[in-house]
Amino acid sequence: MTTTGNNTPRVYIRGMGSIAPWRSAEDLATAPAGARLVCQEPVYEEWIDARQLRRMSRVIRLGVTAGMMALREAQVPMPGGIVMGTGYGCMEDTGSFMTKMVTLREEALNPTPFIQSTHNTIGSQLALLLGCQAYNQTFTQGAFSFEHALLDAVLHVKEDPSRTLLAGGVDEITDISHALWKRFGVFREDGVRSLGMFKEGSGVLHGEGAACFLLTGAPSATDVATVEGIETLYKPSQGVLQRRVEQFLASAGITAADVDVVLAGAGGASQDDALLVELCRTSFGGSSRGFYKHLCGEYPVATAFACWLGADILRAGRVPQGVLQVDAGRTPRYVLVFNQYFGTHYSLVLLRSCHATA
Amino acid sequence: MEQLMADLKRQIIEALNLKHLTPAEIGDDQPLFGEGLGLDSIDALELIVLLQQQYKVKIDNPQDGPKIFRSVRTIAEFITAHKPA
Repeated sequence: MTTTGNNTPRVYIRGMGSIAPWRSAEDLATAPAGARLVCQEPVYEEWIDARQLRRMSRVIRLGVTAGMMALREAQVPMPGGIVMGTGYGCMEDTGSFMTKMVTLREEALNPTPFIQSTHNTIGSQLALLLGCQAYNQTFTQGAFSFEHALLDAVLHVKEDPSRTLLAGGVDEITDISHALWKRFGVFREDGVRSLGMFKEGSGVLHGEGAACFLLTGAPSATDVATVEGIETLYKPSQGVLQRRVEQFLASAGITAADVDVVLAGAGGASQDDALLVELCRTSFGGSSRGFYKHLCGEYPVATAFACWLGADILRAGRVPQGVLQVDAGRTPRYVLVFNQYFGTHYSLVLLRSCHATA
Repeated sequence: MEQLMADLKRQIIEALNLKHLTPAEIGDDQPLFGEGLGLDSIDALELIVLLQQQYKVKIDNPQDGPKIFRSVRTIAEFITAHKPA
């Protein structure tokens, strides 16, 4: 759906937070390459009370802290709802709980990993930390988890523009999950981490991250960007994908020529990327085009990182070095996040600069 | 008893992830819940599991929980009295 049609109010990103393997342009040169792209984690004690922190597993810390970052940037101490998306959920606690089930023969199992093994623990821990008793929802639809969380939050804001909704996506790599993926040979292990990996097209990096956005329908001078539309497509043909992209942009009142920057979610495997890369080349020939999965890796909610990157581009008015594949030299007003996940899940998120007039 | 209490303090810190504490900072008679160490109901469940896993001791009557888990010393006394031979 697009969010701007029928004279409905715009949805503004007032604040955002991201914890990812990549934080800024400087990181690309300095961050160590490895088989996994793991998050550069903050000092959690600066964000979460030590008494609550002790019981949180890593993915919960990632999600809660990214949420706290968004709230702080937005200067909104209490959101009117929390909507999270996670494809994998709390795998570390799940692995811990299941391992103990086996080793302890299903007796005397520790309660904490069990309690925290469910996907909705991230949003609920955030609510407990804030004392937020408002709407709390978690979406777990694989590689559409973040898109649906964002869509839900957008719909709430459109229903009541005075509300503030915190929407986010978070997924983690654990030793167990990486070992399992490795057995299937899904991810590359050589640690190559540059735009060159897309030309080569020979493999995908395993990634993780958390990104949250404080959304509201009431504009302010400090808003980062607006969310103009969200669309998901499962296993589309080339024709269907092209038609739906055109319809999506048309319903937002623009054409492909108006899109200044396309952030393409190519993963690095040529057969999965082919449809996306070809459509970006043919439909967005006049736009700047960049990639982001050499920065964050592949994971179900990588779109959340891309949206953070896209909104940051709109706020800064420029695309960071190390992202651009083709530079059209245009001032960013519209950024299209065009994700794909292993050639099956495709999604579109259109972001607009708060300074755009068209 | 002294050795058992020292072991318990170390095990409690590990099981409850109380990384900000050292065993020396937990008093033998310091209340574990409420205003003492500030533990809560989930911690109580973790302590029950700890007793079962480490000492093979079960609490048959849940009503006894507050009395048993009042301090490290009361836990040690309960283990000493109920540990299988």
